[in-house]
Amino acid sequence: MATIVAEATGTPILEEEHGRPFIRKYIFSTDHKTIGIQFLFMSLFFLLVGGLLALLIRYQLAWPGRPIPLGQGLPETVAPAGVMLPEFYNALVTMHGTFMVFFAIMPLLVGVYANYLIPLQIGARDMAFPRLNMASFWISVPAGLIMLASFMVEGGAAGAGWTSYAPLSARPDLSGVSLGQQMWIVSLVLLGLGSILGAVNYITTVTNMRAPGMTWFRLPLSVWSLFITAILVLLAMPVLSAAAIMLLFDQTIGTNFFLASQGGQPLLWQHLFWFFGHPEVYILILPAMGMVSEIIANGSRKPIFGYRSMVFAIIAIAFLGFIVWGHHMFQSGMNPALAMSFMISTLVIAVPSAIKVFNWMATMWEGNIHLHTPMLFAVGFVMLFVIGGLSGVYMAATPVDIFIHDTYFIVAHIHYVLFGGSLFAIFGAIYYWFPKMFGRMINPTVGKIHFALTFVLFNVTFFPMHGLGMGGMMRRIYDPEQYEHIAGMQDTNVLVSLAAIGLFATGLLFLVIFLYSLFRGKPAPANPWNATTLEWQTPSPPKHGNWKEIPVVYHGPYEYSHPAMDRDWLAQNERPDVVSPAHQPATGSTPLQKGGASE
Amino acid sequence: MNETETPLEVGEHRAPRYMAIWGALAVLTMIEVGVAFLGMPRSVTILALLGLAIWKALLVALYFMHLRFEPKLLRVVAAAPLIPAIILVVLVLFEY
Amino acid sequence: MTSHAATIETGVRRPERGLGVYDKKVGMWVFLCSEVMFFTGLIGSYIILRFGASSTWPMPGEVLNVPVTAVNTFILICSSMTMVKAFAAIEHGDQRGLRLFLLATAVIGALFVSVQVYEYRELIHHGFLPSSGLYGATFFTMTGFHGFHVTVGVICMLWVTARAFRGGYTLEDHQGVEVIGLYWHFVDLVWIILFTIVYLI
Repeated sequence: MATIVAEATGTPILEEEHGRPFIRKYIFSTDHKTIGIQFLFMSLFFLLVGGLLALLIRYQLAWPGRPIPLGQGLPETVAPAGVMLPEFYNALVTMHGTFMVFFAIMPLLVGVYANYLIPLQIGARDMAFPRLNMASFWISVPAGLIMLASFMVEGGAAGAGWTSYAPLSARPDLSGVSLGQQMWIVSLVLLGLGSILGAVNYITTVTNMRAPGMTWFRLPLSVWSLFITAILVLLAMPVLSAAAIMLLFDQTIGTNFFLASQGGQPLLWQHLFWFFGHPEVYILILPAMGMVSEIIANGSRKPIFGYRSMVFAIIAIAFLGFIVWGHHMFQSGMNPALAMSFMISTLVIAVPSAIKVFNWMATMWEGNIHLHTPMLFAVGFVMLFVIGGLSGVYMAATPVDIFIHDTYFIVAHIHYVLFGGSLFAIFGAIYYWFPKMFGRMINPTVGKIHFALTFVLFNVTFFPMHGLGMGGMMRRIYDPEQYEHIAGMQDTNVLVSLAAIGLFATGLLFLVIFLYSLFRGKPAPANPWNATTLEWQTPSPPKHGNWKEIPVVYHGPYEYSHPAMDRDWLAQNERPDVVSPAHQPATGSTPLQKGGASE
Repeated sequence: MNETETPLEVGEHRAPRYMAIWGALAVLTMIEVGVAFLGMPRSVTILALLGLAIWKALLVALYFMHLRFEPKLLRVVAAAPLIPAIILVVLVLFEY
Repeated sequence: MTSHAATIETGVRRPERGLGVYDKKVGMWVFLCSEVMFFTGLIGSYIILRFGASSTWPMPGEVLNVPVTAVNTFILICSSMTMVKAFAAIEHGDQRGLRLFLLATAVIGALFVSVQVYEYRELIHHGFLPSSGLYGATFFTMTGFHGFHVTVGVICMLWVTARAFRGGYTLEDHQGVEVIGLYWHFVDLVWIILFTIVYLI
């Protein structure tokens, strides 16, 4: 029988990994899988940091002016006698947002999964530029350290919000923070550079290094979403870098770009920041959507419904994402006609997102549903993202937003899409690809407990914030009891904080599960989820160089329940008429929990 | 490894073309400086200068950077960032 | 999706076509896209601040030295010329031409930066600083970052030149030369825009 031999594509295999010294294999590695895992550890650490900061915020909001437990250890400059100062509270809200957006969610989605999945899912041996890839990671680390270190300098960490509006951020005499604000900028410029270099790698790799037969419309949706996200990073982040540098100059060398008293334009900062900031939030959700598609197809044992429309929806969301930024500025005094155009474009962008939601639902419809842990998180994602998206529709309407801007309604929205959305997808992705990454399984029962606790506590924490916001509770305030119209809602604040403490504890539980499974999880087969995409047709974990022979791809990525097959999945590099023994799952798959048609 | 497409035959006429472009760029620069100080109405001056600058930029992009001879898709990639760039500047100018 | 065994091909399958251009070139062009956006942030802000926010702005030549900078513009264009000749040389396998023209490009690039530094010193000496209103702020930021990009370019150019002198580029494989050429021409292109809108308009 004739066979097709694929030509090696991209970088040649480097020398065998096990011959390399420890430092080249694990620290300064150019292997995309190792770099992805490095990003994973780094980001989980910063997720913990962000969570701790949130805990401190919630403590202050529920029990304003009370000493923080174990707070006596904090320096006098931030919390004398354990009672946090308002300035420290400002730093907390700023840094919580900063760490979560830039050092947790973004690297968890892009740094981890773009790196880990792209070469594997397109059938390449590594990225187009492995050393540049290594540089990306090792630029991000000092960026994170600088951000952490900013807590320790005089004046403390940045305290002008993660959005760093001028003139507050430009004037130490107003904010009380000098070096901390500057370090915030330096850190983000560095991180931006790392991200941009990463984007160059991802775009080049997906464009040029797809295996034979892997046409654009056979790419897994994870790859599509990461590819489009990389384009967003490429085009949006440099604008932030430029704006941040201008802000740094305002702070340090006496320029006046954003300082009105000397002819500058504070509103310019908002435009520049949000021109970046809005594509940024799509950077934070698109990869999540891609990976959720992956998991839902797998957990439903059905191809994704409307694959092409999913691709076009991703592209539409990305493109439209460049013309909606003004909806963050409705209260700024911007030109009302301009505001109206932003309102319209923002309402329009709900459409492709909705298309994706309907496609996920249609995928599950009459599917053979297996509620494994990743699937639980993926379905949870869809539910919570819908809620977050719906609140977004309210905010898109300018007259409504004039009232709810900068209230807890916005905070609710943010967290429904970033936590209920992105982080749920990340959890799903971690559970899903953990076996591939580490060769071990995470105990399914424990995973489900983690899911259930997270889902319930998340909703108790964040759903009431819709009410708080509509009741007029503003963002970033130090003491809710100070305001008559908010004081009456204090019970809600206490409830939210209690749930938040539980949510944090659940996060700690997850970290324990994660670490335990790293060392003691059951050994994983090559394809524990009976999945169709290429990464599952390699060992768990894959060897350096990924493939003995570059695979040849014959069809789309989600051939579940294929009519020509006895089993309910068909790998991308398999042909139904030629399923030779060489292509069977390596060590036999783990049967899925709810008995299905497979084996 | 991907094949490098050799777009044209590497012929002797390639080098003089570069010299011609260089000459054009030098001349256009001189014209620009002249136009700037000619004292025409302001908007005419601005339009003329922008036009000259764009002409020079295109010469560099199409010939020195070889875009004229590259696959169409690469030209699309190269031109793509101009769209968000124009959107940013134009929309914010609406503020004023 | 067929289950017929009718068409089983033999032989070698090539990777998917992609852009039809080698990886390093794709990578550099993609990177240049991000640079376009970076300079858009700076130059766009200048345009908005100057033309949107209607304040009084000095006329061309009042503060800045146009003749010297015009010559400097020509100098940078010459360096693009030498760069392109370096590339043309190695396309013919001409190692000597490659080395000569790469070195020339680096030297001329360094000359450009030196003239800029000289100009800065003159301006600062006459009291024109980044803190001199929006004009000073935008001037120094835009030209400063451009100068920074040229400097990085010169350093990389020297590295490429050294490699060329060691015989690192051949007729068959000189991707590095083309790729640094792209960066260099881009930096020239940005200057063409900057010179016009900062010095002449």
